[in-house]
Amino acid sequence: MALVELHSVSKSFRKGDETITPLDDVSLDIQAGEFVSLMGPSGTGKSTLLNLVSGIDRPDSGQIIVDGTDVTKLSRTQLADWRAANLGYIFQTHNLIPVLTAYENVELPTLLLKLSASQRRQRVELALEAVGLSDRAGHYPRQLSGGQEQRVGIARAIVAHPKVVVADEPTGSLDSETSQQVQVLLQRLNQELNITMLMVTHDTEVAGIATRQLVLDRGKFVDRMAGTQR
Amino acid sequence: MIAYVLKTLWRHRTRTILTVSGSAVAMFVFCFVGSVQEGLHRLTTGSDADRSLIVFQENRFCPTTSRLPEDYARKIREVSGVRDVMPIQVWTNNCRASLDIIVFNGADPAQIEKSRPLKLVSGSWDQFRSQRDAAIVGRSIASRRGLKVGQQFSIGDLSVRIAGVFESTIPSEENLIYTSLAFLQYTRGLDSAGLVTQHEVKLTEDADPDRVAAAIDEKLRSGSVATKTRRKGAFQASTLSDLVDLIGFAHWLGYACVGLVLSLVATTTVMSVQDRIKEYAVLQTIGVRPLTTMRLVLTESILLCLVGGLSGTLLAMIALSLGGFAIGAEGATIAFRPTPNLAVSGSIVSIFVGIIAGIAPAVQAATVPIVKALRQP
Repeated sequence: MALVELHSVSKSFRKGDETITPLDDVSLDIQAGEFVSLMGPSGTGKSTLLNLVSGIDRPDSGQIIVDGTDVTKLSRTQLADWRAANLGYIFQTHNLIPVLTAYENVELPTLLLKLSASQRRQRVELALEAVGLSDRAGHYPRQLSGGQEQRVGIARAIVAHPKVVVADEPTGSLDSETSQQVQVLLQRLNQELNITMLMVTHDTEVAGIATRQLVLDRGKFVDRMAGTQR
Repeated sequence: MIAYVLKTLWRHRTRTILTVSGSAVAMFVFCFVGSVQEGLHRLTTGSDADRSLIVFQENRFCPTTSRLPEDYARKIREVSGVRDVMPIQVWTNNCRASLDIIVFNGADPAQIEKSRPLKLVSGSWDQFRSQRDAAIVGRSIASRRGLKVGQQFSIGDLSVRIAGVFESTIPSEENLIYTSLAFLQYTRGLDSAGLVTQHEVKLTEDADPDRVAAAIDEKLRSGSVATKTRRKGAFQASTLSDLVDLIGFAHWLGYACVGLVLSLVATTTVMSVQDRIKEYAVLQTIGVRPLTTMRLVLTESILLCLVGGLSGTLLAMIALSLGGFAIGAEGATIAFRPTPNLAVSGSIVSIFVGIIAGIAPAVQAATVPIVKALRQP
């Protein structure tokens, strides 16, 4: 059984007099440990699909099942609990909490789980170590570079040991050198920690690090390319 | 999560300090208004107010206009239900409402010591009893005027030597200066030999105050001066009637202060939430529950209110304690006192206002569409 299953998922919304349908009867299976990239022109439903899998948006119809849980049937509070335990989210613009240090930002998701203080500390230290930022733990976001902020964001996404990590254009706001470092990091996390990843990107080079690349256009998958294992 | 709230407040410290200061000032005024109302309540409803009667000249108000024969005391003692009578000569520097009213009560020193709940904090009763121009002063007026034992205190034609400073379980007493009756009667300008301003009547335990009051007036009807006898509380409320109306109106000022804190903290919290609506969406994306998000916002507004409210309340308590403030008219005074009740009210109002002020922004933060909020720049 796939870890993430989308069955006939549709989503539309009104913009003025126009009805936009970013996802039109889309189905998709993602296996545990897979690294899937989503590409396509702007406004074709990539981020919408990511948000639906994350449970921060709801489809008009269809089912989204993650590890056996139909997330479309959960209440807002249940979804929050589910995300805390099962989902990591990497934002394009990092979205770190500015008043918290790198350590505290990474610690946030662990505060929502039933963990002892020492377990929390161990997880945060490991996550920061995994992204190579142990020496920046006490720094505030304003004291970090864009690439370092994104690595803190990645550490925050993996610290709770989620089943799925979704990434919305994780290299979109980075220069090419930093983008390269983040790509390597994401690939390493997928391969070494066996984290299932779903990533939206505009960049074909970034999409290339995924084990499977999908293209969305006008609300439907238009092409499915089997990625090569790197 | 409390660390997150504290750090957020600290990050916007200018806004936080301004809001806390505004709340503190408003709660300071709220406590001051509250203390005036408590003072009036104590004056008109205490046990002393209900179990004592004041015999005053009929249709007279200012103490200088009431001139009763001292000898009335003997006749009053004959009325059933009367336990004791104390003739009192009252002198005040101002019959109108004033914040620095000076009121002298002249009575028999032995009776004062016996019937008044006074305790000397400095000086001696012996000196008060033996020295003709000796006076004991309430600690409020002593603090307000900087009076100490041994000093000479003069006002108008009156000049007394301070023999003691007293405290009392009845706060308004602490705004009085007691002298001997004879001293006040024979002071130059008063011309009151054999006359007193009022008689204060202590009742027996089973006496009905209104019935005794009527009996006293009836008995003295044949005398040279007609009297009007009332319970002490009613007498003081009547004496201070203009102030009572004003103080009644002032309670709206108290509510206005609460409204001010409410609008101030609500505005700050709404602005704070709107500035950080994306942050709350990020927290919920991470897995923070909507209810927890609400609690974060509510904690922020409660902290703002509580820190401001407690600071204002504390400052008011200190000012009331050290200032010895009182307002008076026609010889009666209302003492402003810090009380535990006032401190508790100030704290509870602060928490309550913090919750009310935070509800709308807390709901906004908790129910914001996450995707829409994440798209904000």
